[in-house]
Amino acid sequence: MNFALLRNSLRLRLLAGTLVWIVISILVAGWGLGQLFHQHVEAQFDAELKNHLDQLTAQLILDEQNQAQVRLLPSDPRLNKPLSGLYWQIDRIAAAGEHPTRAVLRSRSLWDETLAVPADTPADGEIHRHRIEGPQGVALRVVERTVTIDTHSMRLIVAANESLMTGPIADFKGHLWLALGILGMGLTFAALMQVFVGLAPLRSMQDALGRVRHGDARNMEGTFPSEIMPLVNEFNAVLAQNAEVVDRARTQAGNLAHALKTPLSVLANAANAPEKRDDDLARLVASQVDTVRKQVDYHLSRAQAAASVQVPGMRTAVEPVIRGLVRVMERVRADRHLEFVFLPDPANPAFRGEEQDLQEMLGNLIDNASKWARSRIEIRVSDGAGRLRVSIDDDGKGIAETDRDHVLKRGVRADEQVPGTGLGLAITADLARMYGGDLVLARSSLGGLQASLILPAV
Amino acid sequence: MRILVVEDEPTLATQLAEGIQSVGYVVDVAHNGVDGHFMGESEPYDAIVLDIGLPQMDGITVLKKWRAAGRTLPVLILTARDTWREKVAGIDAGADDYLTKPFHMEELLARLRALIRRAGGHASTELVCGPLTLDTRSSRASVDGTALTLTSHEYRVLAYLMHHPGEIVSRAELTEHIYAQDFDRDSNTVEVFIARLRKKLPPGLIETVRGLGYRLNKAQ
Repeated sequence: MNFALLRNSLRLRLLAGTLVWIVISILVAGWGLGQLFHQHVEAQFDAELKNHLDQLTAQLILDEQNQAQVRLLPSDPRLNKPLSGLYWQIDRIAAAGEHPTRAVLRSRSLWDETLAVPADTPADGEIHRHRIEGPQGVALRVVERTVTIDTHSMRLIVAANESLMTGPIADFKGHLWLALGILGMGLTFAALMQVFVGLAPLRSMQDALGRVRHGDARNMEGTFPSEIMPLVNEFNAVLAQNAEVVDRARTQAGNLAHALKTPLSVLANAANAPEKRDDDLARLVASQVDTVRKQVDYHLSRAQAAASVQVPGMRTAVEPVIRGLVRVMERVRADRHLEFVFLPDPANPAFRGEEQDLQEMLGNLIDNASKWARSRIEIRVSDGAGRLRVSIDDDGKGIAETDRDHVLKRGVRADEQVPGTGLGLAITADLARMYGGDLVLARSSLGGLQASLILPAV
Repeated sequence: MRILVVEDEPTLATQLAEGIQSVGYVVDVAHNGVDGHFMGESEPYDAIVLDIGLPQMDGITVLKKWRAAGRTLPVLILTARDTWREKVAGIDAGADDYLTKPFHMEELLARLRALIRRAGGHASTELVCGPLTLDTRSSRASVDGTALTLTSHEYRVLAYLMHHPGEIVSRAELTEHIYAQDFDRDSNTVEVFIARLRKKLPPGLIETVRGLGYRLNKAQ
């Protein structure tokens, strides 16, 4: 995988950014919630232990022999169940001349165990907390308080298995992390959806651009989100401006042609007037006018084509162009009674380029064919592998194989008897090559020339 | 035969008019689209030479208007742009032929002759009616191979009748087709030309249909 590409992926950036924050947020939330719950449960646990301790303190009395007695035993059933995890114990603290006695009284749950609490000497009534090891080596949480009745000091101890507190906490944390994990997955899925759905318009924009580039559309079509729409509009404006520039260039080229050719007509007519037949100057003017006309035709057609080859999004249907040209030929050469046979391709391929250029190329070829044909012209369109092929066959006398390359050169005419500029085939071949295509001359099965125009298709 | 030339460039218009007149046609000239359209619609021309790039109203529009108004006369368009788009547009607008500038006058005249001939349903450049032959290329008439000496007006009258053999042609129609628009017309002069022609032609070839006009006798 290409890392530079990944670094440049908008999708990856968005995803990575979102995912990092999802993970951090979930970790912090999990840790924070766990701590809060821990504190809460601990406080509650301690409160309960203190409750038991208070109860015990309230019921403690000394009998006649100054022995500690508990009037009413605490009611929690766990205190009566052996090793249940909740215990109490009363130690006697040594006063002057006495021996300290551990566990003068204890809960039934302690059975024959005793709790060994560190021997500190807290002030009377003050509550101390400890963590000690209890029966069977279980960790216990302890609260203790020293109570002095008359001169007799006693230590009251209430203890509980720490696991009674840590168990629920561990349970809670397990559930918490599971829930947070599910939340994280949900957020990740949402982030993925957001990135893919959110960036989908970019994808469709790319498709729209592709259609423009392939010539399927003149501009980017479709509705895009308001953040992208200005971009699309700008792009369409650029495309339109491009097309307009080309149009203007064509119009100007056309205007130049118009401006040049009318005076050329005047000159040519003056030079060709019958009374000037033997005038050397008139002959010179006539021949130079002819040269100028050829040059203008040739360079104009090239300039116009060069302008349009660079414009993206061009698409021209072939069939209407051919039909239009055949209409022209049928009318103009009505007295020749030619039969035009048009065999279109069922796939109806389109030419990737300007309509005027296609008209120019096909016009020259069909015009050429109808000049030379005896009775029949066949126009065939076929399509394959991004290429379009238009073959024009006539039943005229054709062009000898040795002359075929020759006639594709500028200004060379195979025969001077039929009027024409001798530029048609050369211009057509040039135009076709500018579009990355070609013009191929061959012998037709009808007996005459077969001119095949190969062009990029859409 | 009366031809309308619509061309805005004055020198070229004059050259066209002179060239067309030199082969025996009568020519009117219009210098812009609006005048050209009006003249083409109101005067009975036999063919029109129409430039595409015209001021005020372009040639294609003028042509479409004529065709929409039911004018079927042959129209030859002149194009300076020399693009097939313009040729297709011209033909689709109703033109019968096109010629690209700069052109040779001979070619224009040949195309024009062919159009007039086609419009009259004639296949050949030579029109034949009995012993009478009219060569539209050389603008000469002959009877049984003997060339006739005709003035330009006589030729025009005879050519118009030859293009419409067997049809009754009124004096007004003849007048309209042998004189240009601004010419001081006098239909009595047609009678003079007919009388002169009758002297030069075999008898009975030009019949007078009383109250209607003249007819070239095909049967003879």
